[in-house]
Amino acid sequence: MIPVNVVTGFLGSGKTTLLREILRDPAFSDSAVIVNEFGEVGLDHMLLEEVEEGVLLLESGCICCTVRSDLQDTIRDLHDKAARGAIPPFKRVIVETTGVADPAPIVSTIAAEPVIRQHFRIGNVVCTVDGMNGLATLAAHPEPEKQIAVADRILVTKADIAEPAALAALEARVQALNPVTPLARSTGQGFDADFLFGADLGDAARRDDEVNRWLALAEHGHDDHHHHHHDHAHGHGHTSGTTTFVLRFPERIDWTAFGVWLTALLHAHGEKILRVKGILNVLESDTPVVIHGVQHVVHPPLHLARWPDDDRSSRIVFIARGVEADLIRRSLSAYLIATSKSARPDPVA
Amino acid sequence: MCGLCGLLGIVHWTETNAHPDAFTGAGRRTIRAERAHRAALVNAALAPVRMKVADFQATSYIVRAPTGRQEIVDDLASVWGAVDRLRGQAVDPLDEAWIAEMERSA
Repeated sequence: MIPVNVVTGFLGSGKTTLLREILRDPAFSDSAVIVNEFGEVGLDHMLLEEVEEGVLLLESGCICCTVRSDLQDTIRDLHDKAARGAIPPFKRVIVETTGVADPAPIVSTIAAEPVIRQHFRIGNVVCTVDGMNGLATLAAHPEPEKQIAVADRILVTKADIAEPAALAALEARVQALNPVTPLARSTGQGFDADFLFGADLGDAARRDDEVNRWLALAEHGHDDHHHHHHDHAHGHGHTSGTTTFVLRFPERIDWTAFGVWLTALLHAHGEKILRVKGILNVLESDTPVVIHGVQHVVHPPLHLARWPDDDRSSRIVFIARGVEADLIRRSLSAYLIATSKSARPDPVA
Repeated sequence: MCGLCGLLGIVHWTETNAHPDAFTGAGRRTIRAERAHRAALVNAALAPVRMKVADFQATSYIVRAPTGRQEIVDDLASVWGAVDRLRGQAVDPLDEAWIAEMERSA
């Protein structure tokens, strides 16, 4: 499965700078990058040749193309061309979104399209946040909040020119919006591309580390929850709707029941559930099952070979907007208890 | 329905048999047993609105409204869409009345 990374971030937040660095990185030389416009990336000095109409081969070995009619067509087209040898094969796709785009539909495109999902899987969503103007942008526009909430990696850019105090305030704000996502600073060069793009849940070899990372952040964020909420109520009313919370269940969960409940919740409130991630102790598996989803899309459940710690309880992290944590907790808990009576003692038929 | 849909169909994330790597336990059900179990679980969630779902040939689900209207759908996610259409309103797991009903039967 070829990972598809999404690079999101508001206008002028540094997406293109990040892409340009990635395109030069030898470790990412077998990537295909999909941009909105060639002009923006300034590829002239990296350009080797145009291998196919609209597909450029760069010195590093990367291929680069623009979005055609839509992203699905573009990805399918790249796959076809690579399969018949018209362009070099690639091991990763990186999609740059426009600054005002909501990344969630892009994730759902890749997860839902029947042809694409056979060959590609969604990788990390990387969100750039402008270290200089980030706070003002967050106050003025709704898009960055969403971009931050669905991100798997957040990169605060222009860290070298931003005021340290402003940078710290911005980072606090970003962490309040999405406490489970690791945050890095950038000065426009020397990106840790492996951390940003390479390490993701979909890669079985990196999965343990990745789960540990967000579990640690989730526990921390959970403790701080009231503090953040307090901040919002008084400081940034604009963010007060986005909250992160962790549901914890000590009993083993009936996976099928959990699936029924979550699909019902997402059908009714999918647009409000910006992110769901969890490690589950389910009856149907002796090893932990990892779930992750963005809004209406839940990715295929993943296998974890061992528990990250001694805690055997299921932990589910939600980043949600405009829904009460307590209601979600009560709903899942009531449903699991109500249905546990119907579970048969000998489930293997 | 053309048979190819079943072959090329999208596997829903809730189906353990489609993700054998993730579900390693002895507690795993066979495909049909899991679907029957799932239908029972959906029925528990639908009880407050007097609707029902049944597995159809291990390929689809039939959603039935109390009026007798029914719809056949491919997967669990589509069940909720059908419920929504047949009833004119989604079943909302965050609705106080729904939660109260679950807490009562718990």
